[in-house]
Amino acid sequence: MARQDASMKPGTGKAGQIILYIVLTVLLLYTLTPLLFLLLNSFKSQAEIVRNPLALPDEWTFQYLINAFASIHFPQAIGYTLLITIISVLLIVLVASPCGWIITRHKSGGSTFIYLMFVAAMLIPFQAVMYPLMNIMDALHLKNIPGLIIMYAGFGLSMSIFLYSGFFKSVPRGIEEAALIDGANIFQMFFRVVFPLVKSTTVTVMILNGMWIWNDYLLPFLTLGLSDQRTLVLELYYAKMTSGQFGSPWEIIFPSVLITVIPMIIIFLCLQKYFVKGVSEGAIKA
Amino acid sequence: MDKYFKRWFGILVLPAVLLFVLVIALPFFTGIVYSFTSWRGTYFAGGTLFQSFVGFDNYIKAFTTGTFTRSLWYTVAYTVVAVIAINLVALAFALMLGSIHRGVGMYRTVFFMPNMLGGLAMGYVWQFIFQVVYTDLIFSPDGLLHLEFMRYMTQDPVKALFALVIMTTWQSAGYMMLIYIGGLNSIPSDLYEAAAIDGAGPVRRFFKVTLPLLMSSITVVLFLTLANSFKLLDQNLALTNGDFDTRMLALQILRTTRDTQPPNYGVAQAQAVIFFLIVAAISLIQVYVTRSREVEF
Repeated sequence: MARQDASMKPGTGKAGQIILYIVLTVLLLYTLTPLLFLLLNSFKSQAEIVRNPLALPDEWTFQYLINAFASIHFPQAIGYTLLITIISVLLIVLVASPCGWIITRHKSGGSTFIYLMFVAAMLIPFQAVMYPLMNIMDALHLKNIPGLIIMYAGFGLSMSIFLYSGFFKSVPRGIEEAALIDGANIFQMFFRVVFPLVKSTTVTVMILNGMWIWNDYLLPFLTLGLSDQRTLVLELYYAKMTSGQFGSPWEIIFPSVLITVIPMIIIFLCLQKYFVKGVSEGAIKA
Repeated sequence: MDKYFKRWFGILVLPAVLLFVLVIALPFFTGIVYSFTSWRGTYFAGGTLFQSFVGFDNYIKAFTTGTFTRSLWYTVAYTVVAVIAINLVALAFALMLGSIHRGVGMYRTVFFMPNMLGGLAMGYVWQFIFQVVYTDLIFSPDGLLHLEFMRYMTQDPVKALFALVIMTTWQSAGYMMLIYIGGLNSIPSDLYEAAAIDGAGPVRRFFKVTLPLLMSSITVVLFLTLANSFKLLDQNLALTNGDFDTRMLALQILRTTRDTQPPNYGVAQAQAVIFFLIVAAISLIQVYVTRSREVEF
């Protein structure tokens, strides 16, 4: 690989290497500082946070984490967030993959139109549809968690169909003919024979959509805002907003942010090679 | 085989099309119609939809009320600074990681990690950093370095713009770095060897080999950051909540319905349509530029 061939790269003498490592390590520490800072201040009282934000806590007490746990209703909130994220992502995969497949296999005016329709939809920012959408969902009694899942599935489709159809183009057609001769029906053909071939695209689709849905604020705010079924991000928003007039209650905010981001950090560290691959692939094709 | 696929085409496409119509197409076209009416969210001022038709009034109002044009220019200004900052930092990360031998994976993981974390959640942490750590400690008169510009950054539109850039660069440079690393990896090493044999020094190799062959990655990153910056919401909301004239477009559209009583959804929708036109134009220019600029090798 090109980049392993270090002799051809600038700044690769012995001194150059040392300087590079120093610069990179400084940047690494800079990148980690807000997270370390978040960790430290999750164990401090309001007074201690404001007086001495950079120091270690006087004592490592879990009291503030426990308070935050209760005040953002962590068990319910993470339950809702997981439910919404997982079902939305599965629904996107289930709907987008057969659609992306069949539009590359059956070439006609109709399939081209549908493909272009989804590609064109990527140009529409959420703000352009949000108010009428909320009206429609309200009329259908879908301003709730099932409605939220439907909306995420709808918004996730465009990019997912685009990624899938890009990949299916490179899958040879002979496989499907063989499956047909073996007597498989269309669903068996797709899910047993074709779908396993595009695992890497499925992982990309799941990660890109999952990341976005987990962290999304606006759609849950518009849909669930006034109900008591709130996602983690929404709980965090209300924890910050409701006490805003007395100054921010940092002893609640810091531990709340910490327990909100920890699940994501754990998932990321476990699956990081997929994340790195998914992001690069998604960006290059999109 | 073709016939077989044709037979199943409709059934396999149907769920996606239904979702698309319900969630995107229907609200999108309804929204365009509503932007020409005095829509109040739950009813139409003046009676029915047809009776409340006001022509281009909402669009004129959007441009004459001040808050919208201000947020438009604020968004443009932020976008220009953010695109430059994020691109330079991401490219520098990628080039540095391409030149070291060990520990590439660890640096890459850490630089990318902030991107995973929510803009709202981390926005609150950064708000505290700007309001307390920068203001009272690091950049205060008795701090490490007295810099008045870096103090109270969330309480002034110009400073807040740079505060936003500091935060979003921290969050998304790692993501863009991955795209640049992919681009650098695809440059064949014999080109560097050939350039070196021809006597090109490191600087010359960078400008004559790396940069031209990286053009397609640069275009991707450029437009990705352009679109993301233009649509920024969470960080804007978390850092300043749009106070002190720091509303960007996405937040402006969200808050327009709270600015007046009764809420004027017609004007908000007109702003949303203008927003769509700008975002769509950026993306279309991207497609055009990407197709015409790519260097083959």
